[in-house]
Amino acid sequence: MTYPSVYPTGATLYDPRRCWNGYTVFQAKEAGALLIDMNGGEVQLWKRFHGMPNRILPGGYLLGSTGERSTAFGVQDGIDLVQVDWDGGIVWKFDQYEYIEDPGEEPRWMARQHHDYQREGNPVGYYVPGMEPLVDRGNTLILSHKNLRNPKVCDRLLLDDTIIEITWEGEVIWEWVCSDHFEELGFREEAKNLMFRNPNWRPAGGGIGDWMHINSMSLLGPNRWFDGGDRRFHPDNIIWCARETNITAVIDKKTGKIVWQLGPYYDQTPEQRELGWIVGQHHAHMIPRGLPGEGNILIFDNGGWAGYGAPNPGSPTGFRNALRDYSRVLEIDPLTLKVVWQYTPVEAGLTFPVDANRFYSPFISSAQRLPNGNTLVTEGSGGRLIEITPGHKIVWEYISPYWGKMMKINMIYRAYRVPYEWVPQNPRPQERPIERIAVTRFRVPGASPGGPKREVNVKGVLPYRSDAALCVQTNGEDGPSANE
Amino acid sequence: MSHILFTAAGCARCNITRNFIREKGIAYEEHNINGEGKELFGRFYRDHRSAVVRGKEGIEFPVLADAASVRQGVGRIIAYLHSGTKLDGFINRNSLSKGWIDGLHVSGGDPALKEEFIEVLGFLKKNGMKLQLDTNGKNSSLLKDLLERELGDRVIMDLKGPQSLYRGLLGEEIKTTEIIETMQLVTRFPEYRFETTVVPFIRQGGLVGYLTPEEIEETAQWLREVTGNLKQPYILRLFVPETSSDERLPSVRKPSPDALFRYRTAARKHQVLTEVEKVPG
Repeated sequence: MTYPSVYPTGATLYDPRRCWNGYTVFQAKEAGALLIDMNGGEVQLWKRFHGMPNRILPGGYLLGSTGERSTAFGVQDGIDLVQVDWDGGIVWKFDQYEYIEDPGEEPRWMARQHHDYQREGNPVGYYVPGMEPLVDRGNTLILSHKNLRNPKVCDRLLLDDTIIEITWEGEVIWEWVCSDHFEELGFREEAKNLMFRNPNWRPAGGGIGDWMHINSMSLLGPNRWFDGGDRRFHPDNIIWCARETNITAVIDKKTGKIVWQLGPYYDQTPEQRELGWIVGQHHAHMIPRGLPGEGNILIFDNGGWAGYGAPNPGSPTGFRNALRDYSRVLEIDPLTLKVVWQYTPVEAGLTFPVDANRFYSPFISSAQRLPNGNTLVTEGSGGRLIEITPGHKIVWEYISPYWGKMMKINMIYRAYRVPYEWVPQNPRPQERPIERIAVTRFRVPGASPGGPKREVNVKGVLPYRSDAALCVQTNGEDGPSANE
Repeated sequence: MSHILFTAAGCARCNITRNFIREKGIAYEEHNINGEGKELFGRFYRDHRSAVVRGKEGIEFPVLADAASVRQGVGRIIAYLHSGTKLDGFINRNSLSKGWIDGLHVSGGDPALKEEFIEVLGFLKKNGMKLQLDTNGKNSSLLKDLLERELGDRVIMDLKGPQSLYRGLLGEEIKTTEIIETMQLVTRFPEYRFETTVVPFIRQGGLVGYLTPEEIEETAQWLREVTGNLKQPYILRLFVPETSSDERLPSVRKPSPDALFRYRTAARKHQVLTEVEKVPG
């Protein structure tokens, strides 16, 4: 993966005519919650206000957290989930899920929130026409953590994922605990064996197994599958995905049981094999009614390393045995598992596979379907946001200029685009096109201009071949593979 | 032969029972259901199906039969051989395995018989059984004796509800001082927990209603005040109408398991570790 050490940050590309224009909010590394306009103008920073993720609500409200539990004792435990107003005033807060007494820390209640939450009124937490999240009432679903033991998974302490529903007043009225459904997940014996010995061991608090690592959670909302009689897709049901096991699943809100599942294996049916192995995915959700592609499942399929299974040369123990060094954004029909739309290195115009890792985030990341059919993609590890048309053209690009001082990375966990109207406090910004810079001619100050000072000819040379062979097969050389 | 003892191969509880019988010099006839006694037990089981409980892991052995009754499980059999039916209130069916025995109801029997109860528990303990006691607050002096004699490895207190409703929920008279003494004693056992079942009960005026979240909050607050600790292991349980002995209650609508979460939120204001009992799906 070749990354230059010098490259521009902020907005680098913008076609206002083809974008779905609005504000974008994200957690700027070690800075706070940042709201930007389409030209990358920093409209407002809620300083040091955490968020995994941050979300803007109508009226200029912001959801996030006031902090994170010490990593000596927890893994990504958000202390609370908080709604603040435009001026940073706290208007709603929840933290009463677990009373925590970490050594050397003040005892306190914590939400242990991580990765996702959903406010009533909107199933997925991003803009959908006619589905505005409530700002002064309503329940909230929160993805949280709970430490527990479940000998079916492992005989040691587990960091389990839970989903809770709380009222506006902060009462917990529903709870779903992932490990209660271990036997429904369909792991093969080799995976169970490995998981028992290494449930993704993290050192926090003396050691704890982050065995699933659920990283997204949303409601299905109204959808055509349920309207057609398929009760698995009841609007109240919840979809989540878990990076460590490569599983995306829908749970029945009433019974808690898993009613639809993708993964952990992708080699059992022709449809799964055609789909390919989804690895370490993030932000799996059903595209809500009212947006192009409604009813399909949108997933940022990270690649990277994930899964429990049989050993292979890249995974001598079988831990994180699925490996891939590029990412894919997939829009999948949940019934046929056919890919309806995708953005992979091929659609990005990269030579596959040799240059595929230029579209690659092995962790975090997301995809949001926009009302005009475009997709806002967070390619998280490199802090890159892109808006892509259905025809795969990049019409907006932004690189985060916020590198952490403690963690030297400009990562963005997940960004969201919201309409200008949701932030009435700010005058509608001017939209100025940003043309693509011709990188073949662009030089930084001090660099010599391009082009040779002198050219000479060599007698007898042949022209370059358009079908030149590389050391490895590329996508221009499709033929029978060794497996066929 | 007055007593017939059915045992299973490799059954530690059967060995303890046999030891007791031999120690007391009681005449008996033993049949191993994995050997020569298989057919005999099969016939016996068909004739006494209602008296022999088959749990999730099968039939618990030993099983004892005499002319008067059928007894199942080491505790029930030894208590019967020791004192006849006098200890029935104290010792009931066991549901635990792996060296533990439960069904030991400190509040269930006549305290005048406490020495006999203690002798039975002492024999079980001496033979390596771990004892799980339960109490609802009654017979606190017996609980104290058991604590002092180390005859309780775990105790579960069925904390019926708030102080103001306790007698009504228990269905009999009890002094508040006795409940408080029990709550304090419970915390001194090697393992313990408090449990409250969110039950319906007949309120003043004859109306049937469930305990409310506010009443559970009051219960948790009382537990905190009495024990001086806001981190007691405290479990809230769902009422199962079918198991109620009060004929007015089985017709009460069964609450949703999710209903307990509101109660948990209320209880956690005073007992921060409060959890809801998991209901098998």
